[in-house]
Amino acid sequence: MKWRGSCLLACWLSLAAQAGAIDPGKDPVPSVMWAFYQQQFLGNAPFIFDERVKLLAPPFAEDARQVPLEIDARAFKGEVVRILAWAELNPLPKIVDFQPLDSVLPWLSLRIRIEQATPLRAAVLTRDGLWHVGSTLIDAAGGGCTAPSVVRTQPGWEEHIGEVLGGRYPRDGFSRVRMQVAHPMDNGMVSGIPEFFINHAELRDHNEHVLARLELFPAVSENPNLAFDIEGAGQTRLLLRDNSGNEFDASIP
Amino acid sequence: MRWILLMVLSVSLPALADLEYLLKPRQIARDTWLLEGSTDNFAKANGGNIVNTAFIVTERGVVVIDTGPSRRYGEAMRKAIAATTDKPVIEVLLTHHHPDHVLGNQAFTDVPIGALAGTTELLHRQGDAMAENMYRMVGDWMRGTEVVLPTQTLTPGVKSFGNHDLRLLSLGGHTGADLAILDQQTGVLYAGDLVFYQRALTTPNSPGLSVWLADIATLQDLPWTQVVPGHGPVASDRQPFEQMRDYLTWLDQLMRDGAANGSDMAEMIRSPIPERFAGINLSRYELIRSVSHLYPLYERERMMRVDSASK
Repeated sequence: MKWRGSCLLACWLSLAAQAGAIDPGKDPVPSVMWAFYQQQFLGNAPFIFDERVKLLAPPFAEDARQVPLEIDARAFKGEVVRILAWAELNPLPKIVDFQPLDSVLPWLSLRIRIEQATPLRAAVLTRDGLWHVGSTLIDAAGGGCTAPSVVRTQPGWEEHIGEVLGGRYPRDGFSRVRMQVAHPMDNGMVSGIPEFFINHAELRDHNEHVLARLELFPAVSENPNLAFDIEGAGQTRLLLRDNSGNEFDASIP
Repeated sequence: MRWILLMVLSVSLPALADLEYLLKPRQIARDTWLLEGSTDNFAKANGGNIVNTAFIVTERGVVVIDTGPSRRYGEAMRKAIAATTDKPVIEVLLTHHHPDHVLGNQAFTDVPIGALAGTTELLHRQGDAMAENMYRMVGDWMRGTEVVLPTQTLTPGVKSFGNHDLRLLSLGGHTGADLAILDQQTGVLYAGDLVFYQRALTTPNSPGLSVWLADIATLQDLPWTQVVPGHGPVASDRQPFEQMRDYLTWLDQLMRDGAANGSDMAEMIRSPIPERFAGINLSRYELIRSVSHLYPLYERERMMRVDSASK
């Protein structure tokens, strides 16, 4: 009887949470699109605007085709299931869907395209089912998504697709792994050039154990730059696949 | 009806009067006049008048050095010159292709406009986009401004205008094509944007900071008595060179260390700026820009090929 009671209570509590008992707080950035993206990406899941998710970008985009973005959810180390990032006013808003599985800190840096001044969001799903939304604003002269490719102006660029530059940089208790992949990341918005971009990436350790999975979207800049913080020793393998089925493979010693 | 007219006038007159560049030429040497701009960023409040321009009244006529950020500025400059001397303008010399130095060209289309070949090439390629960005930042001050390309190619060496022999130097640390001008009669060195003083330097077209450092050494070795920086106050001591060298060296080392440490751009732009640069306007803003322009070169130096195709 007692067991049934507490079970009922637990069910009621979780239902209450689902029904929006959690106050998301005030949106820290002015946004006309939040409600739409919340529905589209987070559905009816509970969320809060949370400054512990640090979304770090410059206040303005000096080069709208290569805007540095750092997503820092280390405040929730060990609890993070997924990190979704998007640029609200981009024609193709989605940036990345990052799942740090094992030995990878919930931290990621990359470079993105910005079409105009926009709010940026990183929604971090923790194991308790709550989304923590980090936000920032960036100003831009714009045009980063529709600007012609720089890669494609370089003669022989096709020969270099999938080449990866990388490095490992030891830190206190972990190492920073950085990679730069030669790829035009065509988003289909430049006249006459269809979508052609790396859409999947996977990090593995030296035992082929999967450390993290990423879905990438064409808001990611051409020649994508990615950086991860990885715990533990040994080389790190990066597997990449683009939407034409090309597969690339790199190992960072 | 009269009331309506009065109301319309009272609304529109201040709006028109606001957009007036108050250019006051200041004599800094014999025959030599400076139009000093602020050390701020482009803004609707300053009309883009953040730049130093100058003119030399030679026996033969007036030589203009840079034409300012807009058609309106160029026209105001022309008026300021006419109010200073009866001599006609005979030539314009452009130090480099950046918009704040060349978009006043429209007011000088009746005389030869000289620039290094590389400057003309860069202005041809980037001018319209830069002018567009100026409209965004400065607004109505830019009305009617269009890119006018140089009509004459300058080469290094001494070029004489009446009683003034100007030594032209072709350098490149700031944009890849940077003209410095030394007036051999007055000793005034027009450094263009190779020298910023009390204002953070900008790097959108810089081929690299080491090239720029070498240019600073070249300029400092010239027999100058006064230095006119592209931005910031005129000096008759070495301070502008010392500050440039200090700042360039710091920026270079910062990015070297960052790349060796695997820092990403978003981290680099948050780097602390040394206390001794506190007097340099816009250093944080320009650090954000410089990291965007130059850091990719530094980080690639500290990476290696790691893909399976390379093995």
